Amino acid sequence: MKPVDLVRKLRRDAAFESAVLDRGKERLMAAIRQEVGPQRRPSIVPQLPYQDIAAAIAFLERAFGFREIPTARRVSPAGVVGHSMVEFGDSVIGIGTQGAHGAFSPKTAGTASHYISVYIDDIDAHYQRALAAGAQIASAPHAHRTDYRAYEALDLEGHRWRFVQWLREVPIH
Amino acid sequence: MNSPSDAEVIGRSLDEPEAFGLIYDRHAATLLRFLGRRTGAEVAEGLLGELFRIAFERRKIFDTSRESALPWLYGIGSNLLLKHRRGEARRLRASARMAADDETPNRRTPALDARLLFLRVAAAIEALPAGEREALLLFAWEDLSYQSVAEALELPIGTVRSRLNRARAQLRELLEPGGKKG
Repeated sequence: MKPVDLVRKLRRDAAFESAVLDRGKERLMAAIRQEVGPQRRPSIVPQLPYQDIAAAIAFLERAFGFREIPTARRVSPAGVVGHSMVEFGDSVIGIGTQGAHGAFSPKTAGTASHYISVYIDDIDAHYQRALAAGAQIASAPHAHRTDYRAYEALDLEGHRWRFVQWLREVPIH
Repeated sequence: MNSPSDAEVIGRSLDEPEAFGLIYDRHAATLLRFLGRRTGAEVAEGLLGELFRIAFERRKIFDTSRESALPWLYGIGSNLLLKHRRGEARRLRASARMAADDETPNRRTPALDARLLFLRVAAAIEALPAGEREALLLFAWEDLSYQSVAEALELPIGTVRSRLNRARAQLRELLEPGGKKG
């Protein structure tokens, strides 16, 4: 047998889970932001109330591609997440405990008084991701004149998210 | 729509640093497998993080005449692996035992012979000078072309060719029963 073929026989793959890649991505992006970004201090930060914050954030990350800001999470001594922040693009949203500040999750209140618009680059890919994560679709992607396309989805507790792609904007990839 | 080349993405990341995330999306899985083959899963995760941190910091000096960033990223990984030679040697010996166990049922090679053969392959790889070993493993395990190995190790392609030839000759010498050291 040729030497190189013998060497090939010693190639052994190490098993890994895709979670390793996700963690790595998160750390890289956090490092990039820390290194180059000015500390973001938006003038307006919407605060959304939830019954179960940890579950809500996991869903928002999985379904909509939001990212929790790792340093923002506040956990009580009992291990309950009391507040955190998620970011998307150049924006942040607070994720808080319902009841605090007089605001309630739509799941408790049975109704919502707001919806939030999110501007994205690739609505079809985003929609597929939300579908795959089990988001409840309130309206499928549809065009509004020739300006933009949008769809709406509800998260685990019934907050309504409207995702919009401008049609005249060129997708990044 | 055509997706932008790595060179274009890295170029854009100079003004929009977060664009660099796309380089991760494209290549992280390949590099994690590469690092895992060499050091095992646990060490590989840490090295992957280090690799991309370094790549991000050095993105200004990436040679944008190259379309793909993968060979360059392999090169950064190869340098990081130099610090983990002991772990690599352990893993190679474990691989040798497993390769021997894989071989013996289907062949008539006596188990002991197979075991000795592969342990000698492992020892021979270990005994190569670092530069030759790296070229050989990028070529044989990662299936990189000579050109890509040259880009990864920042060497002229002729040097890669001669390193691989030397590595082959040394392995042959160490492995052949009638060889000088056999």
